[in-house]
Amino acid sequence: MSRRITIDPVTRLEGHGRIEIFLDEAGDVERAFFQVPELRGFEEFCKGRPAEEMPRITPRICGVCPTTHHMASTKALDDLWKVEPPRTAKLLRELVNSAFMVEDHYIHFFFLGGPDFVVGPQAPAAERNILGVIAKVGLEIAGQVIRVRKECRNIIRTLTGKVIHPVFGLPGGVSRGMSEEERAEFIDTAKFAVEFAQFALQIFRDVVLKNKDYVDVILSDAYSHQTYYMGLVDEDNKVNFYDGKVRVVDPSGKQVAKFAPREYVDYIREHIEPWSYISFPYLKSVGWKGFVDGPDSGVYRVAPLARLNVSDGMATPLAQQAHDEMYEILGGKPVHATLAFHWARLIEALYAAERMVELLEDPAITGEHIRNLPTKTPKEGVGIVEAPRGTLIHHYQSDERGILTAVSLIVATNHNAAPIAMSVEKAAKGLIKKGNVSDGLLNMVEMAFRAYDPCFACATHAIGQTPLEVTVFAADGTVLERIAR
Amino acid sequence: MPRTLIIGYGNLDRADDGVAYFVINTLRRRLGQAALPEDNTGLEELGAQTDSIFLPQLVPELIDTLADYDQVIFVDAHVLEDVPDLFCTPVLPEYTPSAFTHHVTPAMLLALLHGLHHREPAAHILSIRGYEFDFHRGLSAVTRTVADQAVEHILRSAAPSVSVSTCCHTPIEPEKPSH
Repeated sequence: MSRRITIDPVTRLEGHGRIEIFLDEAGDVERAFFQVPELRGFEEFCKGRPAEEMPRITPRICGVCPTTHHMASTKALDDLWKVEPPRTAKLLRELVNSAFMVEDHYIHFFFLGGPDFVVGPQAPAAERNILGVIAKVGLEIAGQVIRVRKECRNIIRTLTGKVIHPVFGLPGGVSRGMSEEERAEFIDTAKFAVEFAQFALQIFRDVVLKNKDYVDVILSDAYSHQTYYMGLVDEDNKVNFYDGKVRVVDPSGKQVAKFAPREYVDYIREHIEPWSYISFPYLKSVGWKGFVDGPDSGVYRVAPLARLNVSDGMATPLAQQAHDEMYEILGGKPVHATLAFHWARLIEALYAAERMVELLEDPAITGEHIRNLPTKTPKEGVGIVEAPRGTLIHHYQSDERGILTAVSLIVATNHNAAPIAMSVEKAAKGLIKKGNVSDGLLNMVEMAFRAYDPCFACATHAIGQTPLEVTVFAADGTVLERIAR
Repeated sequence: MPRTLIIGYGNLDRADDGVAYFVINTLRRRLGQAALPEDNTGLEELGAQTDSIFLPQLVPELIDTLADYDQVIFVDAHVLEDVPDLFCTPVLPEYTPSAFTHHVTPAMLLALLHGLHHREPAAHILSIRGYEFDFHRGLSAVTRTVADQAVEHILRSAAPSVSVSTCCHTPIEPEKPSH
């Protein structure tokens, strides 16, 4: 009898995601679908609006990545008007982006996804959270996480006006500079962030790497996909979150493309499936071969592990050491273990913190020249930055007055949509046999899913919490069983 | 005397999802406080017997603020058909993050507060049914009416003469028939 299993967060309004798993006649998994059954419509909504409004509009796509949407949008405006921001403005923008990367990576690692490992993959779900981390590592850790997030958000709030809906980036520059007093305060934050990042990595070493069972889970085939990878790199092919070129490597780690933001349309195409409103980007040169991995499939991955895989290393010393350690332990580049995204996330947090120190110690960051006024006629612009959960592309076209005629946004979770679907299917196939749906399905699927740090949400209006529910349907639609928490 | 914090949250740009902003500012005016401009959360102006803030989302750092209060009322929109348009429910500490989202729930905040500060204020979620979530500002007529009821309900629940843990025990006044 054919059956359908649905994993559905039933109370979402925005960013609604759903997983549907179809069983065959034998009760084994035939296919699993990751769906986004809501049309966001932002691209259409933005047409006809003045382009300069986009850095204020696009952060409202979601309350989770507002800073990086603001940055990608601002860079797209630079390109639209062909105006180069002064160095001070670039330093300030990168500082804000780096501070956001630190605070966002930690909310994921300590509050959302990381506890899967710090507390343990086999621990009850009720314990796999920050409170479980506290129980395992000590109360002090939570206070430190909250402090580093609070102070980084203070940098963002001070410079951009608002943490969630920034008013900072302008075509050709930024809206405000930084005082020496602010710099002195922010350096303390940045240095604390470096210290904390090293501490966080030590927790990972002590709790995860010293436990063979955990390492085995990380390296298990159930959580591995041999895909292409994509991410921004600087001129030395080092990881960069704010600027540079997009580099793509194949499943063996060999570079297959390196392109400027404006050229992305020559390399990326989007596949559409009738059962989802999310698009599935793939590499144009390889082609869409379905939800499969390997060198013949154009599916690629973005976000922390992908960024490290495409790079020749980190641009700061402590992060470089941590980078080398990870690849030495996991067997060299590229690493295909999906759960290693957590480790890479911590290395990136260290890089972002070190970069904050570098930026703040640059005397030019308190310069007074913070904007070059655009003078050219706008036509087309592309901005790319790295969001915590992957490469973020904003592409605008406008008339000569700067009124938008076309908008294309490829967000991080778009890039990873196909790999997420593949990871979910692999986990489901590994767990569901002969129609037996284990409670462990939720844990296994969640772990595969969470590693990517996907995000479909910004509205936060649930009574209580967002439930996760697995429902097993018979072919006639009858509910056979339901697992929920 | 017990202190109460009212936390409204939601998205101002998605019509009824911003209902808590309307509730918070109506409440502030009724309490003789200045309404919050869009770019002001209210977090810098705390210290009254009854404080109120509006946020786009809940974040872990809020626990440092929550630690100073005896009662917390979360105000939010809901879309559930099987509960009343104005619905109050107690919320207890529980930390279960969703696999799908990045948001922190009231229950998660309370769990953090208890874990880190050993505080457990009485807490409730006052939910207001939303009907329109398009990309615009302003409330639908029905939600606006329920929001007014919500303000009256909070005022009764948070009155200085009322002890804590009362929000959900205070009867929700039925909507007056319109003529």
